[in-house]
Amino acid sequence: MPDNGLLVQMILGALLGLSVYLPMAAGQLSLATPAFYAVGGTLAALMATQGPSAPTISLAAVLLEMLLAAGLTAALAVLVGLPVLRLRGIYLAIATIALVEIVRVAILNLPFTGGATGIFGIPQPFREPLGYLWLSGALLALSGWACQRMETSRLGRSMAAIRDDELASRCMGINTTRVKLTAFVASAALAGMTGVIAAHYLNTWNARQGSFDVAVTTLAFVILGGSRSWLGPVLGGLVLTALPELLRPVGDLRLVLFGLVILLGPVLFPQGLITPALLERFGRWKP
Amino acid sequence: MNAHKNTEPLLALDGVGRRFGGLQALSDVSFGVQRGEIFGLIGPNGAGKTTLFNLLSGVTPASAGAIRWRGRSTHGLRPDQLNRLGIARTFQNLRLFGALTVLENVVVALHHRQAQAALNAQAMGLLEQLGLADLADRRADNLSYGNRRRLEIARALATRPNLLLLDEPAAGMNPSEKEQLCALLAELRQRHQLTLIVIEHHVPLLMQLCHRLAVLDFGQLIALGTPEQIQRDPRVIAAYLGGAA
Repeated sequence: MPDNGLLVQMILGALLGLSVYLPMAAGQLSLATPAFYAVGGTLAALMATQGPSAPTISLAAVLLEMLLAAGLTAALAVLVGLPVLRLRGIYLAIATIALVEIVRVAILNLPFTGGATGIFGIPQPFREPLGYLWLSGALLALSGWACQRMETSRLGRSMAAIRDDELASRCMGINTTRVKLTAFVASAALAGMTGVIAAHYLNTWNARQGSFDVAVTTLAFVILGGSRSWLGPVLGGLVLTALPELLRPVGDLRLVLFGLVILLGPVLFPQGLITPALLERFGRWKP
Repeated sequence: MNAHKNTEPLLALDGVGRRFGGLQALSDVSFGVQRGEIFGLIGPNGAGKTTLFNLLSGVTPASAGAIRWRGRSTHGLRPDQLNRLGIARTFQNLRLFGALTVLENVVVALHHRQAQAALNAQAMGLLEQLGLADLADRRADNLSYGNRRRLEIARALATRPNLLLLDEPAAGMNPSEKEQLCALLAELRQRHQLTLIVIEHHVPLLMQLCHRLAVLDFGQLIALGTPEQIQRDPRVIAAYLGGAA
């Protein structure tokens, strides 16, 4: 049975998986999630370490940080998304990788973000991991509820249509730019808020938290879990975050096994673990 | 004929052209389409018919000339904006939302804000008119070819168009299906008060269906008139049968 600490990491993984999933539900392969995650974490680290150093921080202050991180990353996503979402497929992926790199290098070199060592001693709102479990669990529940509502809404239908055929969607009166931007902004805000929780939980924050590796790992969450419903990336995030830790007993072999899972997952489950057929069997997930 | 000759045309093209690099896909095309008219567009392959639909629906901008919709220029408008202004289209090479159900394909094109149940009911109504109600829960990419063509029409109708652009709606259909489609289009036009522009290779079908026809050849408008006039036009005969006009 995984301990609470691992459970928190798993939920953070699920949240990042959802963040990658949201643009993908509108057919956009965006790898920008780590950039917004890094911005959120850095914002929290900076805000929480202002003033006299203290080992604890109030939950209200953390929630305020989350709110600000959501606003900041959403604004950034609008600025970046308007030009970048004109690109399609692999070109969008490359442009968003560039964003991840820009943010990483900026955090590494800005005078107030602690350089390569990053920011230390970020105060904790909880003494035990259980508190983080509640906080991240609440964010996941809220996001899942919002995704479930979205998937049966006008917005969700438009996203599914764009994913199938963007040109036909435009000709059917769907403002594809607005829909894609909405998904991108939601993705960014979710990653930003997740970054805030992660920064407090990890106690320290540096530029490596939002690296290209994270983009690949979080993409694997969606691919293994399945991208036809929000349940897919959640499951993928939970499983793939837990796996390296649960495989610890086998030593260095665990990274090989982890790699095998990522490699074989798409081969054995090309539609992911949560497939459309599975969703149909649990008909209540569909409108 | 129901077309009203003396009013301002619903759609007016004035010297419209489109160039793709060195290829002049359309040049100097001018005609008007009246409210309620069924207007046919014929011409050999590569004549520029689909390019013209792409210009009318805003998919590609015109490189010359002006298109006026209800007297106002459509210059710079996006496809979704033109659709909201009342121009809907179908696609020659079927572009349904394959992963969605037949019903969802129609619901996604209904843009007024209403409760889900009301939207579904409206979509079902359209599916019934097109004879697809029994297939509502099927995935769109599991439909037969003829049914996909009809679903394209249902989806376009869901956007409540005034002008419907049909790109080869009878392609791949057998003669009796073509007959049925002809009757269906006439019925839908009445019911939804549509103006239709139809691209079709099957000329007898258009002769029967349309009030007027335009003939394109190598991007040029070579003839415009009633079916009787078109049938007798020597340039049309030359374009279709080859040889010097």
